Amino acid sequence: MPELPELNPVIHGKLRLALLSLLSGVEEAEFTWLRFKTGSTDGNLGAQLLKLEEAGYVGVEKKFVQRKPQTMYRMTDAGREALTAYVQALKQLLGAAIGA
Amino acid sequence: MSNVEEQELKDRLSLIESMIAEGRRTTESWGWTFVLWGVAYYIAIAWSAFDPHHYTAWPVTMIAAGVLSSVIASRTAARHPETTIGRAMMAIWMGMGISMFIVMMAIGISGRFELHVGVAIVGAMLGAANATSSIILRWKMQFACALLWWTTGAVSCFLSETQAGIVFLVAILFCQIVFGIYCMFAESRKRKGRSAGQGATHA
Repeated sequence: MPELPELNPVIHGKLRLALLSLLSGVEEAEFTWLRFKTGSTDGNLGAQLLKLEEAGYVGVEKKFVQRKPQTMYRMTDAGREALTAYVQALKQLLGAAIGA
Repeated sequence: MSNVEEQELKDRLSLIESMIAEGRRTTESWGWTFVLWGVAYYIAIAWSAFDPHHYTAWPVTMIAAGVLSSVIASRTAARHPETTIGRAMMAIWMGMGISMFIVMMAIGISGRFELHVGVAIVGAMLGAANATSSIILRWKMQFACALLWWTTGAVSCFLSETQAGIVFLVAILFCQIVFGIYCMFAESRKRKGRSAGQGATHA
């Protein structure tokens, strides 16, 4: 029987998974847009984004637009690979559960 | 694996799918630009018809509309993520706008402007931009506008100056003002529907 894959714990968190999925559909997104889409609080969102940044899954860029500070996030190649691997692992696990 | 665990994995998978779709879905609003440019065309036409120094009417109105569009767009862009489709749309309309401005300015300065030629050029360019945009967005209504612009451009070559002018005014009314207002209603309906279905995601 083939060994079942383990799910990446960095991505497995519900908010972190939502953030990576959101970022996979756009080129870059601002902090406030991510907050709006996930319905999360500033503190929680900042902490989860920091974890993703530390894992190398998202890149962050701080800039000023019309003299207002803006924090932009974009998914890195490592993040895209990790999300793809996570989805494959999920499907494999679900496939094994259905087959069992 | 227990049923609870299996359900949790399925939830994760549907969360990924819904968030990817949410991110890709374009949330930008462009209806106002059609209305703004339609009104700008009307102002330029009215100005050039009633002002003896009419040679400044089109460049001044077009530059003013361009500046106003960029200011409003830059303010709304800050609230939206950058998407490939959004950038493609911007590229199409910017490219079309710059091309039209250069050609029309050159014709105007050279003194070889004729209403038939002007309407034919504007019709062809707006038809091309609307058609490209409608194919990317898979929007039949916008493709109908493209067809109307192309028809306007082609037909104007066979009409008198007055008739070409009337056809141009009608095309602006339907393809810019009416279509723009329709877009704004559609966008507002979409936003309301989306905010009603907005859920929260927590860690």
